[in-house]
Amino acid sequence: MSTLKHKGKGPQSLTANELREGLNVWLTKDFEWSRDFSDALLSEDADVIEKMQTIGDRDTDTNLVVGVYFIDVSAETGLPSRYRERFRVKGPSYDTAFELNPNSKPRE
Amino acid sequence: MYRYDEFDHDIVQNRVKQFRGQVERRLSGALSEAEFRPLRLMNGLYLQLHAYMLRVAVPYGTLNAKQMRQLAMIADKYDRGYGHITTRQNIQYNWPELTDVPDILQDLSDVEMHAFQTSGNCIRNVTSDPYAGATAEEVEDPRPTAELLRQWSTMHPEFTFLPRKFKIAVTASKTDRAVIRAHDIGLEILRNSDGEVGYHVIVGGGLGRTPIIGVTLKEFLPRAELLPFLEATMRVYNRYGRRDNKYKARIKILVQETGIEEFSKQVEAEYASLKPSEIAVSDAEVKRITDYFKGPDFADLPEVDAGYQSALDQDKDFAFWVENNVADHKVVGYAIANISLKVSGRAPGDVSSEQMRSVADLSETYSFGEIRTTHQQNLILPHVKVSELHSLYKALKTKNLADGNVGLITDIICCPGMDFCALATARSIPLSQAITERFIDPIRQRAIGEMQIKISGCINACGHHHVGHIGILGLEKAGVEFYQIKIGGDASENAAIGDVTGPGFSYEETVDAIERLVDYYIEIKQGDERFIDAYRRLGMAPFKEVLYGAG
Repeated sequence: MSTLKHKGKGPQSLTANELREGLNVWLTKDFEWSRDFSDALLSEDADVIEKMQTIGDRDTDTNLVVGVYFIDVSAETGLPSRYRERFRVKGPSYDTAFELNPNSKPRE
Repeated sequence: MYRYDEFDHDIVQNRVKQFRGQVERRLSGALSEAEFRPLRLMNGLYLQLHAYMLRVAVPYGTLNAKQMRQLAMIADKYDRGYGHITTRQNIQYNWPELTDVPDILQDLSDVEMHAFQTSGNCIRNVTSDPYAGATAEEVEDPRPTAELLRQWSTMHPEFTFLPRKFKIAVTASKTDRAVIRAHDIGLEILRNSDGEVGYHVIVGGGLGRTPIIGVTLKEFLPRAELLPFLEATMRVYNRYGRRDNKYKARIKILVQETGIEEFSKQVEAEYASLKPSEIAVSDAEVKRITDYFKGPDFADLPEVDAGYQSALDQDKDFAFWVENNVADHKVVGYAIANISLKVSGRAPGDVSSEQMRSVADLSETYSFGEIRTTHQQNLILPHVKVSELHSLYKALKTKNLADGNVGLITDIICCPGMDFCALATARSIPLSQAITERFIDPIRQRAIGEMQIKISGCINACGHHHVGHIGILGLEKAGVEFYQIKIGGDASENAAIGDVTGPGFSYEETVDAIERLVDYYIEIKQGDERFIDAYRRLGMAPFKEVLYGAG
């Protein structure tokens, strides 16, 4: 039985963390996982959302990802509705790693 | 400092092997995340907003050079080249991968370190005065007591699944540098009227969403009764602490709801039912532990060093650094040197691997290889010859570690906030940087004097904002950050919870608001009065008016 609960409104995206590396990922149109939110599948279609849920459960069970959940996405901006989720998409606004390694940039 | 005995080695090595197996089983699917989560948390591994985070224990904030170099190696090999000193004197890494964590724990164990008790509902890493063993103020070095508590609490079978986490701090000076009154249990080592050394036991303090200053549970507890008495206290908490609501599960809530008199009776009744001799350790064991902290072989040095006096006269930046960052040592001719990790443009408490190695090298050159971490998120070299302070300062300067701002307005305690933390509601690091930039002028900082700004990115208060002279709490509404300001908090022996000034400010407005408070204080300060003293003298009204206008 699925542990996912889709209670959102408007376009939905499915997010999780990679089990091994821990980084944030979003389910893509190809039903793979991407670290880049711009690849994310956004859908309001109930059938598609159900399939997203199935994939999320499967990839949790196969230990690919951890902590899968749906997020609301703003139809206007194409970005997550919640402030916290926008932060997960953008990455930290500050990281000492940026100073130590100027090539490591926050995700846009 | 303490060296592992065979039991410590076995415990740590076995834990590494155990966790390696647990990770393998998690990756294979033999363990679900629900099953694995409490196991990883027992080893300091969190899943944060963007990635895993590993918190490494630094018991009572004491490190040696070898350990610091290993922490630097771990930062480079497994993380992104830096670590973050926390308000529990620990160090955490923001970007480890799960598959590397068993190797990290192995590397830590090689230098007698681990990540026990840095998470979970157990007795957490015991903190202490970072000046321990160096300050003349102390009755005795508090670290043998902290080490005793570490050994007693490590994997204690009764206290591994408490209602909630449990934090203990130990100090031995009247000046409180360990915030003992904001701990579940705070211990102050003192002498009674007969000259016997024992403990003033404070219970039920804490910050978080319900900030409370701890109250006295025992005015004077004889030394030999420490462990049995704490065991009795923990048992009462374990039995009656609430498990139905995690927000009401800390001992502070139990003490408030029970009342300190009744709580004290319960502890005494529990104590009476114990056999103290089965819990207390022998004098020989106390001596064995204490002997590890005897301290280095200090040289006999003159009270005055002409070279030092001359450097103070000729190098004004050095004199400023000494004024704020150097404290008196118990041994003539030595000093305690604070290394500020509150560097302009850097997150408070962050230290690069290169800086870690430099501090390790400098500790060997100047401080018998000893290093301390502080709850203020700085580092300390505890035993520096006064005659060598100037050369230490010049060496620190080349590593961007010579900011002379300890205790001043830019020495900000700050949690990771929304930039890293899964629980945060607003950013705290960028705000701390903006405040630092506004007050960067050292002359202005000196004019403001002692000032503690503390910033938390959510109500869990990891940035200690409740006890900041100025405390800032980051919140979010409808996708917009705003910041509530408190004033009048105090983390010292005169501990106090700050008062909320009024409605919050936007991110853009907050630095201006802080500046208005500070400018007003400068205008009305009397003599050497600190900001906190001025607030106590005048009360909230004038400060509120400065922030929000009249009426």
